[in-house]
Amino acid sequence: MTDLVPFAVAVPILGSLVAFAAGVLRSKSGWAVAVAASVAHVAVAGSLAAAAFAEPGDRISYVVGGFEVPYGIELVVDGLSATVLLLVAVVSLGVLAYARRAGPRSNPFYAVYLLLVAGLSGMTVTGDLFNMYVFLEITGLAAYALVASGESGRSAVAALKYLLVGTIGASLFLLGIGYAYIGTGTLNMVDLGEKLTATTAAGSAVVDPTLAQAAFALIVVGLFVKVAVFPLHTWQPDAYAGAPDTVSGLISALVSTVAAYALLRVVYTVFGTGFLDANPVAHAILVGGAVISIVVGSLLAVSQSEVKRMLAYSSVSQFGLIVAAVAIGNGTALVGAAVHLVGHAIMKGGLFLSAGLVATETGARTVAEYDGLVERSPVGAGAFGVLAVSMVGVPPTIGFAGKWYVAVGAVEAGAWSLLAVIVASTLLTLAYFGRLVERMFFREPAPEPAIQRAGTTNATENADAVADGGDPRGASLGMYATVVAAAVLAVALGFAAFGYGELLEPTIDTLLSSP
Amino acid sequence: MTEISSLRPLAAVLVPAVAAAPILASGARPNLREAWTMLASVLTLGLVASMVPAVLDGDVYVTELGSLVPYVEFTLQVDALGMLFGLLASTLWLATSFYSIGYMRGLDEHSQTRYFAAFAGSVASAVGVAFAANLVVLYLFYELLTVATYPLVAHDETDEARAAGRKYLAYTFGGGVAVLGGILLVVHLAGTTAFVAGGITDLATADPALARAAFALLVTGFGVKAALMPLHSWLPDAMVAPTPVSGLLHAVAVVKSGVFGIARVLLDVFGVDLVAVLDVGTLLAVVAAVTLTVASVIALRQDNLKRRLAFSTVSQLSYIVLGLAVGAAAAPSQATKWALIGGLLHIPAHAFMKLTLFFCAGALHVETHTDDISDMAGIGKRMPLTMGAFAVAAAGMAGIPLVAGFVSKYFLLIGTVSAGDLVFTAALLVSGVLNIAYFWPVVYTAFFESQGDSDEKPLLAGPFGGRFGRAARTDGGHADDGHHVHDDHDDHGPFERRAPNGAEGSWFVVGPILFAAAGSVVLGVVPDAAVFLQVVREIVAGATAMGVVL
Repeated sequence: MTDLVPFAVAVPILGSLVAFAAGVLRSKSGWAVAVAASVAHVAVAGSLAAAAFAEPGDRISYVVGGFEVPYGIELVVDGLSATVLLLVAVVSLGVLAYARRAGPRSNPFYAVYLLLVAGLSGMTVTGDLFNMYVFLEITGLAAYALVASGESGRSAVAALKYLLVGTIGASLFLLGIGYAYIGTGTLNMVDLGEKLTATTAAGSAVVDPTLAQAAFALIVVGLFVKVAVFPLHTWQPDAYAGAPDTVSGLISALVSTVAAYALLRVVYTVFGTGFLDANPVAHAILVGGAVISIVVGSLLAVSQSEVKRMLAYSSVSQFGLIVAAVAIGNGTALVGAAVHLVGHAIMKGGLFLSAGLVATETGARTVAEYDGLVERSPVGAGAFGVLAVSMVGVPPTIGFAGKWYVAVGAVEAGAWSLLAVIVASTLLTLAYFGRLVERMFFREPAPEPAIQRAGTTNATENADAVADGGDPRGASLGMYATVVAAAVLAVALGFAAFGYGELLEPTIDTLLSSP
Repeated sequence: MTEISSLRPLAAVLVPAVAAAPILASGARPNLREAWTMLASVLTLGLVASMVPAVLDGDVYVTELGSLVPYVEFTLQVDALGMLFGLLASTLWLATSFYSIGYMRGLDEHSQTRYFAAFAGSVASAVGVAFAANLVVLYLFYELLTVATYPLVAHDETDEARAAGRKYLAYTFGGGVAVLGGILLVVHLAGTTAFVAGGITDLATADPALARAAFALLVTGFGVKAALMPLHSWLPDAMVAPTPVSGLLHAVAVVKSGVFGIARVLLDVFGVDLVAVLDVGTLLAVVAAVTLTVASVIALRQDNLKRRLAFSTVSQLSYIVLGLAVGAAAAPSQATKWALIGGLLHIPAHAFMKLTLFFCAGALHVETHTDDISDMAGIGKRMPLTMGAFAVAAAGMAGIPLVAGFVSKYFLLIGTVSAGDLVFTAALLVSGVLNIAYFWPVVYTAFFESQGDSDEKPLLAGPFGGRFGRAARTDGGHADDGHHVHDDHDDHGPFERRAPNGAEGSWFVVGPILFAAAGSVVLGVVPDAAVFLQVVREIVAGATAMGVVL
């Protein structure tokens, strides 16, 4: 089983190369290659997850190239990384079903698509901090390219902005790793964790605390950029809204999610609870980021007129909740973080794809154009409605389960002010989804002039879609199936959350008990 | 008391929930669609009713579905309190289903498929609220109830309906947030949220300040749907919904889910003894007493019949809360029993009476398109059975003997008197008088006036402040304020006379009215024979741990 771990990264990289090469022989063969690679990837991730959860709390470790730890690169699969790995594999396969018709369709697109999957998988399974940076950059570069794959100028500008801001984030992350390396002389996460907390016989820390603090601050702020925590989120609405629908669905579901996973992993495997206790400022950074993101993200979402931008700001708010869970840092809250990571990926990816489906069917992309949508796009509106209700956190959906875990964690930790923000975030989320649901179901479609405008948008969108490699035939069965599956999962997973939480608990306990 | 493991509680929730699917699927064939509604409501009622005998023996039906989230089992249980609400909702759903058919078809309403599907979903959620075994499952169905009723409130798709829908969502989800906060505090204090007759033991030893905070959050949250002032204003606005919705949901299922939540919190989470120790019952009773008085006063000046009924609902719901709160505050004593019986019995009593009243208002709307009381002069000739039923139910609301309202109010009065809270007794009596003051004009105008010959309506038409208010306005105001009410009547010609044999409208409309009115009378004449009083006794016996009462 151990030998399977590197394939989690190798399969998508190989697929990426094959997709690129196949394009030389036959154009538009990329999709088939991507599906084959993704299916294999799901199989690898599934068996790794099965193995990881068979012995809860265990970690499956693989040492790359036989160089011993801590010198060599270690790949680790435990309950947490197995979850995220499986999520990455399943979501990327699901989005492929959508991409078949929605496009883009070129082989280079699918090559980059698989490269992104490889980067995300690598970030998930690596046990080495510098290696994580490498995969972070692979992820970033692939994501920039995917955002730019839209044909409009807007995509290009969004990608450039994403590139600039994302590179700054990655550089901060790298700088932080540098400080940690100077202090400890190692890059393996577990080893770093031991050395950072080691004390001399006299009781003082071996590593200069200032170095550790600098490393923490740089790494966390760097990851905040990637997670899109307010006010470091500025790349994200442009990137999500400017990218083709397929890409928005994929990156909104996975890129920030894996970055948030990295944050959790680094904070608790490398620095540990002891570090947070000893450095109130470090804890305050996390709490502050969380609270500001939840509140301001929602407020910004309310004021958006474009649906995809609204969804993007909603992500800023939702990731605030996950950062809050990381800040609370007890077992329940961290299980909540994992549940909400998975839940949010399904819900937000599904919402973006629903928005894409709606745009394909009707051309509607702004909040105003969603008037009376249920008549024109019943499946899109229905799925959007269910996912929105789940995002608000109405039980028994997965959105509620995640929020409940985090809130109970806050109660157990006695973090009352955080608890108030978490509970109130329900209302903030309702504020931006409520008005959209009302428009979709309880308004007549806009009268003539607006319909004409919508019609023209439709025409240009269709033209865009064709230029992107999309299809003028409208939505495909694959698009419907993906969107409906996301909506069903959002409800069904709510019932699975408890069983999953129990499976994950040993892993989280190990994570928290590490020095 | 034994626990009976059974799938029946789950089935009672699932039947209406699942029925929504075939209802949606058969939207193109209205008769088939309504057949699904009828089938589901009969099945649901049958399932619930089949559990009555054992529940009256003190048994509890339980469906365990495993864990939902940490600290919380997904369990449904049918105990006496749950049975009270579940039986009520499923009985009245059957009546309302018939009525809905007559009403919606009579008006040729749009989006009937969405309407019937959302209605089934609402009832499923209401039964779920009734049968929840702990606070989180209750919260789950409570929130689903909000979601399922939203399409019904916004049904008209007018600006007014959408505004009412927004307000409804904001208020009820706001309340939901408070409930969630309160639940989390209870988890923190007691480590469980499961209902226990007499209260969760660990709460009694918990920090009183936090326990009070949890109580306040829970009661405030549920108080939104129970329309406690000042959280009531969504309810009159929600009257923009079709009348069957106002009837079943905004007089029975939705608002009573709030009251039911408060009852659960008082009886099965904190327990009456702890509420008395924490000294929070009296405060709640004061809020309820103020609400029931003020709402009655406001109802006096509502000319729109449904709005008047809405404020009457606000007022009557607080009777229930008052009974619960006074009973809890007085625990443990004889007064507790009386007040609790009165409050709990008022749940079905008010439901039957208010449903009758709303059905009547709807029937008037369908047949004559009359919504305002000032347009109703002489309408008793045109709709004799309807207005007769209205008069009976209105008398019950005011507490006239032989109708349901009298029995529950009698218990409430005894309870408040024997608890020594004479202020509350006075509030109840004053409100009873106000009830007559706002219902009698409707009956009077319907039967004893005609278009050409009607008395002044100083309460409706006069300016605020009575004669002094009028004097202040003599400069520029209308001296003939008393007449303008009648100016816009021209489109309502004199009503023709029809015999009281059902010629006044479809039997789908008249039948349910007579059923609900008959229910109110049965509850008033032979309360012991009607199931509800027995269920209520069972609840109170369990909650006060003082054995079977009376």
